[in-house]
Amino acid sequence: MEDVLTVENPDARLGGLMRAAQTGDQAAYAQLLRESIPLIRRIVAPRCGYGLEPDDVVQDVLMALHAVRHTYDTNRPFTPWLAAIARHRLVDAYRKKARVVQNETAVPELPETFSSAHANAETGTLGDPALLQRAIAALPAGQRQAVELLKLRELSLKEAEVVSGMSIAALKVAVHRGVKTLRQRLVPAPSEAERLDDD
Amino acid sequence: MTRLTTEELIERLASKAGPVRRLSSPQRRTATWLALSLPWVAAVVFIMGLRPDLATRLADPRWLVEEVAALATGLMAAMASFCASVPGRPRWEHFLPLLPLAVWLGTLGQGCVADWLQFGASGLTLRADWQCLPAIMMIGLVPAVVIAIMILRAAPITPMTTAALAALAAGGLAAAALRLFHPEDTSLMVLVWQAGTVFGLVLIAALMGRTVLRWPSAPQP
Repeated sequence: MEDVLTVENPDARLGGLMRAAQTGDQAAYAQLLRESIPLIRRIVAPRCGYGLEPDDVVQDVLMALHAVRHTYDTNRPFTPWLAAIARHRLVDAYRKKARVVQNETAVPELPETFSSAHANAETGTLGDPALLQRAIAALPAGQRQAVELLKLRELSLKEAEVVSGMSIAALKVAVHRGVKTLRQRLVPAPSEAERLDDD
Repeated sequence: MTRLTTEELIERLASKAGPVRRLSSPQRRTATWLALSLPWVAAVVFIMGLRPDLATRLADPRWLVEEVAALATGLMAAMASFCASVPGRPRWEHFLPLLPLAVWLGTLGQGCVADWLQFGASGLTLRADWQCLPAIMMIGLVPAVVIAIMILRAAPITPMTTAALAALAAGGLAAAALRLFHPEDTSLMVLVWQAGTVFGLVLIAALMGRTVLRWPSAPQP
């Protein structure tokens, strides 16, 4: 790591760490990310509402920073660069949230879906979260990680690729297999009578 | 439910952080863009053939000002789009092409007034000249693709503005090149069909900006 740690000015210090990180200094990079968190939090936390979790946005900003770290110009201050990325990701998080809200409809009670009994049995009950948690924990490591990143944290494939180190193709296969395994473990097979009813 | 903590995320990102090739300055990127675009523009002008009265036109100061202003608009717009695709740069840089653009449009406007004073209402007759649209699109095709690829290597933080500026860059360059082989000098015609085409493309690009200029995925170490 460079002697940037001795620099007094926080912006110059972070800029120095980024300069070192751009040359492949992983320790400087980890340090930079850790020291950036309070700055990012200061920007995103007061603006988080409508169910947006500041921690999720902070992590999203860190991933965005990672993706574009080559765009930092070492002759310019670091903080405006980081702040611009943080604001951009916050707006994007709101946009994503708005899309989800747009497609959700609040209903007092879940309507009946199909006349088939087992179809309603699946959708009519909330399920057992603890059972789901155990089932996910029992998945093979790759499948578990893919399900967590893509289904629970709702990351994009590209973001999940960065976090997991798995390729996009591998993630797609792993999440498909993971969900299939979960379905097999959690959804009881329809009885013979229900299958006949379905036909 | 096991979630990746921020510390775990930092460790993973740091473990993938190899050396990266730093983005060049906007000036350097503008020069690269011009160097990559010019051969195509020159080839199109060469294939279409230079206009026979080019020598006369080059001696006309107003024509020269229009040409230089259109070219400068393209170059300044390219530089502005490269600035706009880097986070944290000042916002005034987005307005870099405004001055040459004002000169370009101002000269055309002045030409319209001069035509009106000289020829009366007949000097402001608007005819259909659909050749301008495909010609500008064809000349601007390679500059537009090159600038889009270059912007995607950066971080298009304001995609609509960046796309609009990129289209203005390609359009300005194309409009300047068009005047070298398309013998249309009536100011109103140039204003409506050539500048109008450029602004139409700028508008379309701005609307498509968010779709085309997406945030980049992590560069592989």
